[in-house]
Order: sequence, then structure tokens, then C-alpha cells
Amino acid sequence: MTTTQATERFIIPIGPQHPALKEPGHFEFSVEGEIVTNATVRLGYAHRGIEKGTESRNWTQNMYLLERICGICSHIHSTAYAIGVEQLAEVEVPPRAQAIREIVAELERIHSHMLWLGVAAHDAGFDTLFMYTWRDRETVMDILEALSGNRVHYSANVLGGVKFNLTEETAETILKGLEFLEERTHHYRRVVENDAFFLKRTRGVGMMTREDALRLGVVGPTARASGVDRDLRNDAPYIAYNEFPVQLITLTTGDLEARFLVRIDELLDCYRVIKEIIAKLPDGPLTVARMPRKLKAGEVISRVEAPRGELFYYIRSTGGESPDRIKVRTPTLCNMGSVVTQAVGHNLADVPMILVGIDPCFSCNDRAIRIEGSINRRHDHLWSWSDLRQYGIDFYRRQLDYSGEINT
Amino acid sequence: MNPQSFLELIESNQYEWANTTNRPGQNRFDIDVADGRLLDAVAAVTGLCDCYLVAITGLDPGVESGQLWVLYHFAHRAEVATLRIILPREMPIVPTISHRLPSASIFEQELGEVLGVLFVEPGTDDPVYHSRLFIADDWPEDVYPLRKDFHGLSEPA
Repeated sequence: MTTTQATERFIIPIGPQHPALKEPGHFEFSVEGEIVTNATVRLGYAHRGIEKGTESRNWTQNMYLLERICGICSHIHSTAYAIGVEQLAEVEVPPRAQAIREIVAELERIHSHMLWLGVAAHDAGFDTLFMYTWRDRETVMDILEALSGNRVHYSANVLGGVKFNLTEETAETILKGLEFLEERTHHYRRVVENDAFFLKRTRGVGMMTREDALRLGVVGPTARASGVDRDLRNDAPYIAYNEFPVQLITLTTGDLEARFLVRIDELLDCYRVIKEIIAKLPDGPLTVARMPRKLKAGEVISRVEAPRGELFYYIRSTGGESPDRIKVRTPTLCNMGSVVTQAVGHNLADVPMILVGIDPCFSCNDRAIRIEGSINRRHDHLWSWSDLRQYGIDFYRRQLDYSGEINT
Repeated sequence: MNPQSFLELIESNQYEWANTTNRPGQNRFDIDVADGRLLDAVAAVTGLCDCYLVAITGLDPGVESGQLWVLYHFAHRAEVATLRIILPREMPIVPTISHRLPSASIFEQELGEVLGVLFVEPGTDDPVYHSRLFIADDWPEDVYPLRKDFHGLSEPA
């Protein structure tokens, strides 16, 4: 009887909606007893038609569309796009704007890594760490709001530069916030390295050798935790990374603990580089004098280091106001394949941690297309641009009283 | 390895599978691959150094062209080499490179679903991918959203 149970194989479906992650993805794990013997993945539950959508929008509109691929790494998407378009337009962005782009990119990395740290702690059952990291993450969200007016979609970039300046007052706010975060991050590092119960969930779990990471095409902190020395901020410096370089952080152990430590050490380096930029911020304008509305024909490739790893944009223009094709390859797409490979041989209970170890982003991953219903029928899921615009006007009109003040 | 040497290595070879080459930027090198020689091209480029497949881009240059393009981007540090193959629009069949590069599998699957390129086992007509990874299960067959002649579904999927 016992023998029969041990050799019997079950397939356990998980998702698309499941408690391990707040985004949808479907996995099927074959298990023998508690041990995973095979795994498959089904993606696409957050498809929004963004790549197709870029073909019917002009170069400026696409900046805002592409920024909305992801709520966590919105700035790096718009930066990758802006770099490519500026290359096509043959304009040179002023140094001050490039430095501000790097500040926002590194603040975004802090936001992303701290969010991940909390989610990963939650999946490990360590909710105290989750609550502390998310409380402290508010500091960087407040900084981003002080800088840009927004907590999530900062809209820092415009084609040819940036939208806002860094004032002395905002710089003070950033430095004060970073001082607090640095102290907290050192504390998190001690917890992650020393808490005996937490180490049971991370040390030696989800092992991926350097050879496996290379074979599977893994990118970002997940790859660097397996000894892959790739970081586009060093390998192909863009915006201001030549003037304000970052430290390449790698570990060779290749387990979940290494993925925690690499990201935590990257946080510490983010604080360092932001402080350095603020201290040496170049003077000058925030944008180019003129950014052409129509671009010549051509194709460019833009590669940047998003918080989760290499983000790739291919942009093709046939000449005119809109792109012919924009291809986006996000880091999660590269890392997803490693999850099913790592899961095999582990306990089923380790799977949520292995999945979260790559810091997956399904919004980044799923972009292609899903269209339902006719755009003309009321109450359908798909609204036209004019429907949305009218809804916005009506919504805010309802919020206004006759004195013109917003009702709360 | 010298950071410049990946592209220099490619450039220094006279590949019989290369139709035309182009250097569109300091860190880029594009090669148009001859019909049926993709696997040779991938083997040659990946054999030069520890470069990696960054992405596969599918592209519809327009209905009137009668073509679909597939671009394989390989990177080493700052440098990117792109292998371009041109497929007939009516029968866009290409051998998978996932046996050599497992990371290609997810890129090929995405491209197959959104552009209608059929990836087959090398030397056969057997499709490699039989289920959908990205597009919804109820999405109609033979409708590929990234083709230029797709302007939306007239009926709900």
C-alpha cells in the first residue's frame, strides 16, 4: 500500500489565480509523493495588445503606452524606448537629463527589489519581514512621488530628455530617505543571512549552476546569483552609467539565498550611486532643443538592465510619425523557463519560493493581444479611446461641486 | 575576450550561408541568411564565443511584400549580431533552434502564436509546439495579431 502511494503520479494544477503570487499564471506540477517530477507553464492571462497597439500610435503616445507595460518597472520600459527613438532621431540627450534618468532608474530598482523582498518573505511564511520591507518601501515611493508627482508611473522621460528637474529640496528628501533605507537594508541582510528558519527555505533550495543559467538564458539578479557576470549597466553603459557606474554583484552559490543576497547588495549599491549622482549632478538643460515628430526609416536595438534583468527593445521605423514594429522582450520571459527546470526534484512546498525567486512579472511578460467584443457596444469590456476620454470627463465632473472643489 | 571581438570574429569570416551583411552601428552586425541555412548560421555564430540568444523578433513587412521576417539577436556584452531569415508569407516554416539553444523555445512559441510562423523539427515538417503558451485558448485558429492585415476580430473570440 505504501509502495503504491509512493510511486503513484499526480498532476497538481496551480493557478491562474493562486495565493503564491498576485499575478496570474498557470502551472501544472507532476508529483510523486511530495517530489516534483515535471512541470509545465501557461502564460498570457494579462495580454493587452501593447506591441500591436504601438503601430497605431505616434512616437510620443507610445512612450506612455509602453510605460504601462509594468507598474513596477515603468521607467525602465520608457527609458529603453526613449533611447531607441532618440538613436533613430539622431539627437543627443543633455547630461543632466541622463543623470536624472539614472537616478529614477535606480530609485525604481530600490522600489522593485524591496517589493520583491516582501513578496518573497511572505511566500516563505515570514510575514514580519514582509510587513517591515513594505513599510520601508513606502520611503522610496514617497521619494518618487516628491520627484515626479506619481508613485508608480513616474513619467520621468520625454523623448529627448526628462520632464522634471532635481531641485535642492528634492535632493535633500532623497538623501534623507536613502539614509534610512540603507540602515534598514543592512538589517535585512543580517536577517536573510542569519535567521535559521528563513535559511531552511532558502539555503540550498532552487539550485541553479552557472552552466544551467547560461543554457537556459537566465538574466538579471537571478543569473548573477549563479555566477553569471552580466549586467548591461556595466557591459553596455547607457544614459549616465558611463559617468556614474555601478558595481557588478555576483555570487556563485546559485540558490535562493544567493538571489536574496544579490538583490540586497544591489540595493546598497543603488543608494551609493544615487548619492554620487546627486553630489556631482551635471548642469544644463533637461531636453534637447528640438525632437523631430517624424523619424527617418531605420531599425534600432535598445538594451537596458531592468530590475529583473536585461530588457530588450527592437524598434523599426519605415519613416513617419509612428513605428512599423516595436518588439519588447522582457526579463521574465527569459527567466520563466528556469522555474520549471529548478522545480523538478524539489518538494512541492518549495515551488512558490522557487517561482518567486526569479521575481516574475506577468504584466511585463504578457503583452500580445486579447480583444473581446465590439468597441461600439456599451458595457463591453473593450472601450474605445473616445469612450475612455468621455468616461474620465464625466467622472471628474461628478466629483466637482459647483464651487469647483473636488469632493472627497 | 576583447569586448569588440565577437562582431570582429563574425565579420572576419566569409560565411557561405550569408547572403548580405550590414554594420548598422558600432555594436551591431546584421546578416541576411540564405534560404534553408539557419541552423548552419546559428551553429557558426554561437560557436564563436559565449554569446547568448537575446531575443527573436518576428516582423511583417507588409502584405504586398509576400514575406515574413524572423530576426535572431545574439549578444556578447555590448555587441549584438542579428541573423535575418525571410520566409514566404503563405508558408512560413522554419526549423527550431531550441535543441541547440533551449532558451529559444519560449521565444519561438510566442512568435508562432502572434505571427503565425511554424517551427518544425529540423529536416521534417513536424511541428514542435502543439499547445498555446500566450494566446487565449478560444482565440481563432489562423488569426495572427501581429500581422499587418489583422485589424481586430469582428466577433468576440
